[in-house]
Amino acid sequence: MTPDLGVSIAGVSFKNPILTASGCCGYGEELADLFPLAKLGGLVTKSITKNPRPGHPPPRTAETTGGMINAIGLANVGIDEFIAKKIPFLEKQKTTIVVNVAGSKIDEYVELCARLNDIARVDMVELNISCPNVDVGGIEFGTDPKLTEETVRRVRKVFARPIIAKLAPNVTDISKIAIAAENGGADAVSVINSVVGMAVDPESWRTRITNNKGGLTGPAIKPIALAAVDRVYNSQCKLPIIGIGGITNASDVVEFLLVGASAVQIGTALFVEPDAPLKMVEGLKRYLARKKLSSVRELIGKVRKY
Amino acid sequence: MSKIVSEEAVITRRRDLHNNYYSLTFGPIHSLSACRPGNFVHIKLPTSDIYFRRAMSVAAVYPDTNELEIIFRVFGRGTTRLATFRTGDTLDVLGPLGKGFAKPRKSDRVICVAGGIGFPPLFYLASDLVQAGFDPKKIEFFYGGRSAPDIIERSRIKKLGLNFYPVTEDGSVGRTGLVTQFVRDMIENGRKEKFVLYGCGPEGMLRATNQIGLDLSVPGELAFEAPMPCGIGVCLGCVVPLVKGGYARVCADGPVFKIGEVVL
Ligand SMILES: Cc1cc2nc3c(=O)[nH]c(=O)nc-3n(C[C@H](O)[C@H](O)[C@H](O)COP(=O)(O)OP(=O)(O)OC[C@H]3O[C@@H](n4cnc5c(N)ncnc54)[C@H](O)[C@@H]3O)c2cc1C
Ligand SMILES: Cc1cc2nc3c(=O)[nH]c(=O)nc-3n(C[C@H](O)[C@H](O)[C@H](O)COP(=O)(O)O)c2cc1C
Ligand code: FES
Repeated sequence: MTPDLGVSIAGVSFKNPILTASGCCGYGEELADLFPLAKLGGLVTKSITKNPRPGHPPPRTAETTGGMINAIGLANVGIDEFIAKKIPFLEKQKTTIVVNVAGSKIDEYVELCARLNDIARVDMVELNISCPNVDVGGIEFGTDPKLTEETVRRVRKVFARPIIAKLAPNVTDISKIAIAAENGGADAVSVINSVVGMAVDPESWRTRITNNKGGLTGPAIKPIALAAVDRVYNSQCKLPIIGIGGITNASDVVEFLLVGASAVQIGTALFVEPDAPLKMVEGLKRYLARKKLSSVRELIGKVRKY
Repeated sequence: MSKIVSEEAVITRRRDLHNNYYSLTFGPIHSLSACRPGNFVHIKLPTSDIYFRRAMSVAAVYPDTNELEIIFRVFGRGTTRLATFRTGDTLDVLGPLGKGFAKPRKSDRVICVAGGIGFPPLFYLASDLVQAGFDPKKIEFFYGGRSAPDIIERSRIKKLGLNFYPVTEDGSVGRTGLVTQFVRDMIENGRKEKFVLYGCGPEGMLRATNQIGLDLSVPGELAFEAPMPCGIGVCLGCVVPLVKGGYARVCADGPVFKIGEVVL
């Protein structure tokens, strides 16, 4: 018996629970040089904004213990070019397509999602209300429950398919933001975006990236992410959770499912091992077989706590 | 479309080139047929305190045995670790990556400008040209370093039969000074020739070579370096600013860019 890896989130079915995270898989084309995207549960595109953004000057990334810090600055081609040049490629891919959007005003989220609503192949949108790398917007939305609720509520009116709110860990209580997203009409939450971090070169006394602070990602943040998923899962928020943060292999995936995630996204691990999601799919199959489980769904929320 | 492969490759040969320079040859590399001069590989270093892979230019390919050679200098954590691997060890090699050098026309006089550890891609370029029947006497290979030990693989370069000009800042081998001043002299003295420049080296050297190209209207290409988290174009971490505005990814849009294209 081959174990069933399929999961369903807000009525959208995924052939397996492994998605690639926004900003870590480009617009899909780049990874398609390495493996068929059809093997992924889903793909989340780089945050799209209304206008194209060049991003911050280099250096934009620094290596840190067990991970990295980045301040790419939401560099992206903008919604017009995204629809004209990137969507046609994505439309051909046999995997779930999630388009991540970001804005500096609520109106921008609404405008972007209204346009994406006309493209049937955009299965879901993910609202990046939590990017630590832009001066205006981004982080303010994700740290303020009122703004979160309002943003989701207004997007809800223009986007007919499921909406995911992507939450920031840089708050006192992430479950408050998750509840606000649910009240606004979100269908799922993804937990977590990158953690604010900093790196300094002791020789030159310089900060290592031009934006000085950036988003810490990779294995270094996995425990923070697990705790955040656990917190949201055990709150009043009943939305399905997509776990993100430092996932490197199949056993990391299992940990996230156990604390309550229904699916996961893989970010920084793709930089070190571009085919990591494929290995995780295989590893997950072996794990389920070894544990004599028929479906990956049997793991969700089954953590045994002291 | 070239197929990029991540594979466990065995180190078949390790050479200590002295003064902290090393050569590692890997095999078998199955994606080798897609490899061009200017391409690089991204090597995983299985240690918890080194997270990114390290980019290494391809220095040579051996199609008969499906092997690929890199040459590096021990610089920081990553290359210190890389130097500890021995013949028989395996490493995860991702490649070939990036866009390579454009081929010169038969009538061109090729000038290679290598600085320090910018040598490997230009050595591969020159070897590949000679192998393909390009007249070695029409290749001028300038190689600059601080001191004699920085000019590695001299006998291997000479064996190609090209015109070889080592240049050191302290005069311990070859001519004394900065390599770019001699390049400028050659172009200024050879007005009628159709020169084409290929450069790789430290930023100052790239800047000077770029300026020579612009001042004397000589076309050419430069290979750049940048910190590279992914090497495959998905993270947007490795960018350089472009003269026309915006940024380009060194890993996927480069590492080779035309003279005059990048803000230096
Ligand atoms: C396309 C390309 C080709 C290269 N070819 C060669 C080659 O043939 N031979 C060779 O010796 N070196 C080459 N390099 C440089 C090499 O990848 C190493 O990054 C460099 O030698 C730094 O050494 P390290 O990793 O030991 O330093 P560390 O101190 O461990 O790393 C320094 C920091 O710089 C980051 N970093 C990684 N790559 C770079 C980079 N390219 N420039 C600046 N910072 C970086 C690291 O992630 C780390 O945070 C190449 C780089 C690129 C991008
Ligand atoms: C280089 C880089 C760029 C990113 N860009 C985005 C982005 O545009 N939008 C977004 O919502 N998240 C972005 N992220 C965050 C990731 O999607 C993910 O939430 C985070 O990296 C944590 O997961 P990880 O530890 O598996 O990388 C980016 C992360 C990295 C490393
Ligand atoms: S290293 Fe990631 S885009 Fe170039």
